[in-house]
Amino acid sequence: MNAKAKKVLTALWTYCLLIIVAFIFVFPCLWLVMGSFSATGNLYNIDGFFDTRLSVDAFVKLFTDTKIYDYPNWLLNTFIVASLSCILSTVLLIGTAYVMSYFEFRARKPLMKLTLVLSMFPSFMGMTAVYLLMTQFNLLNNLLGLVFIYSCTAPLGYLVQKGFFDTIPHSIYEAARIDGATNARIFRTITLPLAKPMIVYTALTSFTWPWSDYILPKLLLSEESNYTVAVGLMGLGEEEFSRFAAGSVFIAVPIIVLYFVLAKNMVTGLTAGSVKG
Amino acid sequence: MNSFLKRLKEFPGRAASWFRSLPGRSARFFRSLYERAADLFASFLNFFKSSNQNVRASLCLMGLGQLMYRQYGKGILYLAIEIGAVLFFSLVGFTWISGFFTLGTIAADPWTGQEGDNSVIMMLLGLFAFVILILFLVLYVSNVKDARKSQLMVLEGKKLPTFRDELKDLLDKKFYKSVLFVPILGVSVFSVLPIVFMILIAFTNYGPDHIPPNLVDWTGFESFETIFSATNIGSTFAKILGWNLLWAVASTLVNYLLGLLLALLLAKKVVKGKAFWRLFPILAYAIPGFITLTAFKFMFSMGGPINDIISDLGGTPIHFLGLDNTWGARFIGLMVNAWLTVPSTMLLATGILSNAPTDMYEAARIDGASSFRQFKDLTLPFVVFATTPTLITSFINNFNNFGVFYFLRGDIVPSEGYTAANDTDLLINWLYRLSIDNNYYSIGAAVSLLIFLITSIISLIVYVRSPAYRKEGTFR
Repeated sequence: MNAKAKKVLTALWTYCLLIIVAFIFVFPCLWLVMGSFSATGNLYNIDGFFDTRLSVDAFVKLFTDTKIYDYPNWLLNTFIVASLSCILSTVLLIGTAYVMSYFEFRARKPLMKLTLVLSMFPSFMGMTAVYLLMTQFNLLNNLLGLVFIYSCTAPLGYLVQKGFFDTIPHSIYEAARIDGATNARIFRTITLPLAKPMIVYTALTSFTWPWSDYILPKLLLSEESNYTVAVGLMGLGEEEFSRFAAGSVFIAVPIIVLYFVLAKNMVTGLTAGSVKG
Repeated sequence: MNSFLKRLKEFPGRAASWFRSLPGRSARFFRSLYERAADLFASFLNFFKSSNQNVRASLCLMGLGQLMYRQYGKGILYLAIEIGAVLFFSLVGFTWISGFFTLGTIAADPWTGQEGDNSVIMMLLGLFAFVILILFLVLYVSNVKDARKSQLMVLEGKKLPTFRDELKDLLDKKFYKSVLFVPILGVSVFSVLPIVFMILIAFTNYGPDHIPPNLVDWTGFESFETIFSATNIGSTFAKILGWNLLWAVASTLVNYLLGLLLALLLAKKVVKGKAFWRLFPILAYAIPGFITLTAFKFMFSMGGPINDIISDLGGTPIHFLGLDNTWGARFIGLMVNAWLTVPSTMLLATGILSNAPTDMYEAARIDGASSFRQFKDLTLPFVVFATTPTLITSFINNFNNFGVFYFLRGDIVPSEGYTAANDTDLLINWLYRLSIDNNYYSIGAAVSLLIFLITSIISLIVYVRSPAYRKEGTFR
C-alpha cells in the first residue's frame, strides 16, 4: 500500500468515527426536540423514536394551559433565583479567589486546608441542617432562601479562579503600588479587566447551577407557586412527554447558546482549574 | 505492583512497632501539650506585666483602652460589640448553649397539653451560639492586641492612626479582611455549621423513633455500630459500598479514557473544521443534567421508543431500568454518565494537549517512533501528569454521583435485602433516602461521615502516589 492510499484510509476512518460520535451526542437531543413538536404528546402513543404528525401544540399549551402546570411562573422563579445568585456568587467568588491568590496573611493556609476538608464531605450532607436553618430564618418556601444558600456556598469553589489569578504576574501590581494605588483600586482597575474571561466563566457556571438544580429547590420549596422549572418539570410523567420536552427545550436553549458563544472562556476556566489544582 | 506487595508484607511489622511506640509517643504528646500550655501562661503573664493600664483596661472591658487612647470611633465600636454580646448571651445565648448539652428535658405530653423541647432545634441554636461565642472571643483578642499595638506605638513615639486611617486601610493593606468577611460568614453559616451539625447528629439517636416532639439524646457510637452490625442496615451498607467503589473506578476510567480519545481524535491533523465537530459534545455538556437524565429514563422506559422498536421487530419489551434488571440498569447508568461527562473531559484534555511539548514529538518522529508509541510514551504520561488533580476530583464526583441513579431509577421501590435503597443506589443516594425520605437522620449522618472518610483517604493516597506530587517539575 502506498503512502497516499494510507492517508486516505486514515482520513476515512477518522471521519467515520467523528460522524458516529456526533450522532451519539446529537441523537438524544434531536429526539427531545422532535418530541416537543409531537402532536400526540404521550410517550406511549408515539411509535418508535419520532412521531409522524408534528405540531407546536406543546409549546402553546406550555404557556397558555397553566392551571395545573404553571410554566411561565416556574420560568420567572427560576430566572429570579438564577440571576440573583449569579450576581452574588460571582462577586463573592472572584473576590475570594483574588484575595487567596494575591494576599499573604496568617489565616490563608489554614483557610485553604479547611476548604479542602469541607469539599470532601458529601455535597448535601448538611441538607437536613440547612432545612432546619431555613425554618429558623423563616426562609422556607422563599426564593431568597435559595439565593442565600447558592451564593453563600459558592466561594468554596474558589480554586479554579485562584488558579487563574496565580498566573497574573505580581510585577504588574508592583508597578501600580509604586504609583501609590491602594489594593482596592488595583483590584478594580487592573485585576478585574485582566480577569474578564474568568469572570465570564464564573458568571456562566454560577448561573447554570441554580438554573438547572433540582434537589435544593425540591427540598425547600413546597408551594407550587414557588416551584422552579426543574421541580415543576420533574412532576411530569410519560403521558405529558411533549410538554416535558417543550419545557426542557425552552430552558436548555438559552444555556446552550450561552455556552456556544462563550466556549472559549469555558476552556480557559477548565484548564486554569486543572493545571494549578 | 512489586513495591505494593513488599509494603503489604512489611505492614504487620510496621503496625506492631507503631502500637509498641504508642505509649511513649502519647506521653511525649501530652508532655509537649503541658509545656505549651505552661509557655502560653508564662507569655500571658509577661504580656500582662509589661502592658500599661490602657491595655489592661481593654482586657477588662472591650474598647475601654481605645477610648483612653482617645480613639473614640474604634472604642465605641468595640464597646458596642461587648454590650451586644452581653445582651445576646444573657437573653438567649446561655439557654441555647445549655440546651446544646441537655438536648431538651421536657418531653411533650399530649394529655396535659405540655409542649416538649425540640431537641434538634436546640442543638442547632446551641451551635449557632457557639459560632457567635467564637466570633466574640476573636474580636476580644483583637481588641486587646490593638490596645497593645497602640501602647508600643506610643512608646516608640509614633502617632496613632485615626479612625479614618484605619478604615482606609481596610481598602488597602487589610483589603483581604473586607473582601473575605462576607464569604467566611456565609460559608460558616451555610456550609460549616450544617456539616458540624450533621457530624454531631451521627452521635445521637435522631431517627424514626426519636423525631421531635420526642426527645433526642446523645448515644455515642451507636449509629456506627448499627451500620457495621449484622442487621439489615449493616448488610445494605456493605452491598452498597462494594457497588459504589466499583462504580467510581469504572466510571472515572471510562469517562477519562473516552474523553482523552475523543480529544486526540479531534486533534488529528486530517480533521478539518475542528470547531464544528466539537459542537456536538459541547451540546451534550450544555444541557442541564436533570433534563438529559430524565430524557434517558423516558427513552429506556417500558413505553419508550427503544421498547417500541423491539416490539415492532417481534421481541418482548425489556424493563431496562426495572427492579429485576440490576446489571443492565447499572450498565445503562455507566453509559449515560459517560454521555454526560465525556464532553467536559474532552474540553479539558484539548486544553492540555494544546500545551503539550511539541519538540518531544519532533524528536520521536525523527527516531521513527510509531504513532501508538508516541501516544503511550509521550501523550499519555503528559496528560496523566497534568490531569491528576482533576482525576481525583472526578473520582470523588463519581463516587458521590447522586444524579444518575436518582433520575434514572429514583421512583423504584427498595430492592429485596436492602433497607431503604435499591441495587443501583450509591451511598449518597442511600444517604438521601435514609434521611430525607425515611427519617433515619443519625444513620444517614454516620453514613456521610463514612463517605467523607473514604473519599478523603482515597484522594490522599492517590495524591501522594501521583506523578504530579512525586516528580514535581518533570514537564515544567
